[in-house]
Amino acid sequence: MAISTFDVPVGPQHPALKEPVNFTFTVDGEHVVGVRPRIGYNHRGIEKAAESRTYIQNIYLMERICGICSVAHTTTYVQNVEYVLGKEIPRRAEFYRVLINELNRIHSHLLWLGVAGHEIGFDTLFMYVWRDREHVMDILEMLTGNRVNYAINTIGGVRRDITPEMVGKVRKVMEVVEQRVTYYRKAAAAEPTLLTRVKGIGVLKTEDALKLCAVGPTARASGVKSDVRADDPYAAYDEVPFNLVSYDLCDVLSRVLVRVDETLESVKMVKHCLDHMPAGPVRVKLPRVVPAAESVSRIEAPRGEVIHYLRSNGTDKPERYKVRAPTLGNIPSVCEMLTSKGDYAVRIGDIPIALASIDPCFSCTDRAVLFIDPSRGKEWLWTFEHIRKYAGRV
Amino acid sequence: MSFFLDILSILLFPGFVFVIVLALIYEWIDRKFYAKLQNRMGPTYTGPAGFLQPFADLIKLLAKEDITPIAADRPFFSVTPVVALALMLTGVLIIPIAGSSGLLSFRGDVIVAVALMTLLAIVLFLSGLFSVNRFSIIGAERAVLQLLGYEIPLMLAVLGVALGAGSLTLAEIAGSTKAWYLFGPQVIGFAIYIVAAQAELERVPFDIPEAEQEIVAGWLTEYSGRKLALFRLTRDVELVYISGLAAALFLGGAGPIFEGIHPWMQMLLSTFFFVVKTVVILLILSTIRALFARLRIDQMVDFSWKYLVPISLLQMILVRLVI
Repeated sequence: MAISTFDVPVGPQHPALKEPVNFTFTVDGEHVVGVRPRIGYNHRGIEKAAESRTYIQNIYLMERICGICSVAHTTTYVQNVEYVLGKEIPRRAEFYRVLINELNRIHSHLLWLGVAGHEIGFDTLFMYVWRDREHVMDILEMLTGNRVNYAINTIGGVRRDITPEMVGKVRKVMEVVEQRVTYYRKAAAAEPTLLTRVKGIGVLKTEDALKLCAVGPTARASGVKSDVRADDPYAAYDEVPFNLVSYDLCDVLSRVLVRVDETLESVKMVKHCLDHMPAGPVRVKLPRVVPAAESVSRIEAPRGEVIHYLRSNGTDKPERYKVRAPTLGNIPSVCEMLTSKGDYAVRIGDIPIALASIDPCFSCTDRAVLFIDPSRGKEWLWTFEHIRKYAGRV
Repeated sequence: MSFFLDILSILLFPGFVFVIVLALIYEWIDRKFYAKLQNRMGPTYTGPAGFLQPFADLIKLLAKEDITPIAADRPFFSVTPVVALALMLTGVLIIPIAGSSGLLSFRGDVIVAVALMTLLAIVLFLSGLFSVNRFSIIGAERAVLQLLGYEIPLMLAVLGVALGAGSLTLAEIAGSTKAWYLFGPQVIGFAIYIVAAQAELERVPFDIPEAEQEIVAGWLTEYSGRKLALFRLTRDVELVYISGLAAALFLGGAGPIFEGIHPWMQMLLSTFFFVVKTVVILLILSTIRALFARLRIDQMVDFSWKYLVPISLLQMILVRLVI
């Protein structure tokens, strides 16, 4: 008897995805037997745009790579330029960057927790978590002036200082967040329908996580203790103590636990920053022209390791800028999670939560410049002339 | 004269118009209460406290463009929404709303009441199948699998009540129900009925056939405009139907029935009691909806055959022993 399988396209438009990407699943009834990813729907040409902007203008461009971990990309970028300039920035600015990055991580992980609840049909969790996330957003707005793209980092430090009354407000909100997240952690462990949906789902074994170069919470949830904050401390992370959270359950539950525990760690780190922030200025003036050099900067964004590469040529504009967002590093891992093998069966119902478990940010990921048609073995580049011809406007 | 009165009572009160208005009000209660449980506001804009939102939604959907996919089986695709609504409107005629019995009352109407629910599930399956869409077909498959899960416990729960009352007529069952039954022999039956009703209504944790994040809207994916409006109205009427049936089976229907008062007065009182009882059941259903995550279809069928079916069999034995 022939087994009837058919393809189910998830994306580029699908309720489980908030951004355009395509995963084509081959299904047999409720079972998923194959998966093919396809990215490249949201290529914005950011790297090319960076080449025609000055180093100062590029800060605001980098801010817009990702809407959620926006501060992560600017931190990586300004760090990169500071490396090339070979200048130290004030210690207070480094603490301030840690503070904003950790607040950003808290709001990003809370956002993810809500989305994860939504993906398994638990909208009550979604509504509650997002309500509590608003407190953190308010704090970020108070500190930086913006809710989403904070525009706080600049080459040579940060653009605003924190005042004593702000410190009090941040502390108060951190108490609330800590209490709420502790409650969610307890409630999630006691909710049977939630547990049945996340336990043993989306398995990524430790050796696979290493082989497929998983990054961030996805790797840490598979028992890989990798975190740029600990491995290669930047800003003030060498002074701010934190526990590297890692679980080895290797499933979605493990990723939930890693993110929830990391949120609690971040709360502690924010408090530490407030207590130990050294006095002094928050920025130094650095030259606008950058000497010719090559540099790589990496930081730990909420989704994992962000890598930026810079090649400068002695002008006030970069010659080449390369961005690798963490989601790109996790796409092979998510395909592994969604592949049935042996006793491990993936069902259609597991697709949304397994996809969401890497905390994907597909729009930040797209850096495609080379097009490959595997069926014809053809590779080509889209140049501006090609695009104009394609649009029929030549 | 009596003929016209019958027609009027079927069309107006307590027939179709009353039930449809009630259904839309129940949708509002459900949405508002669910929102409150989630710390949201729910509908606020149309009418006082958003009261008219379901009416506005219905009217707007009725006016929207109605698309039939080229691949769909056109006649069946078009007829299933009408059949679904007709089934549920037929169902409410059996439910005692404004008196001791429904507009239709005959021996064995309990069986018809349960059969209508199963028929509806099959119509929904067909509507998904005839849409010829990948998501619709998966949703339709799930709807039938889910039916296999909850149908038997639902029937056993209803049968338990019929056994207790010694009758297969809804009016007689409602009349013979005593208040302590719900807290004694029927408590398990009531719980099973509520769980199965949640599955029949395709609400969390059993909204598997139309799981948004997984299969877009399941069997409903290809429906738009008028047809979608009819399906949504069917769901609302079904809400009244299922909570009304629960009231009739477990809470004494539209009773208590008083001796020697004016029939019009009795009609008003009965309607009032009916609304109070069904709203209580509705609130229970909404609470369940807010409390859980969605199960997977295999987990749902597992759950129902491992726990629901044995418990409902146990409940029947209990009823036999106690009543």
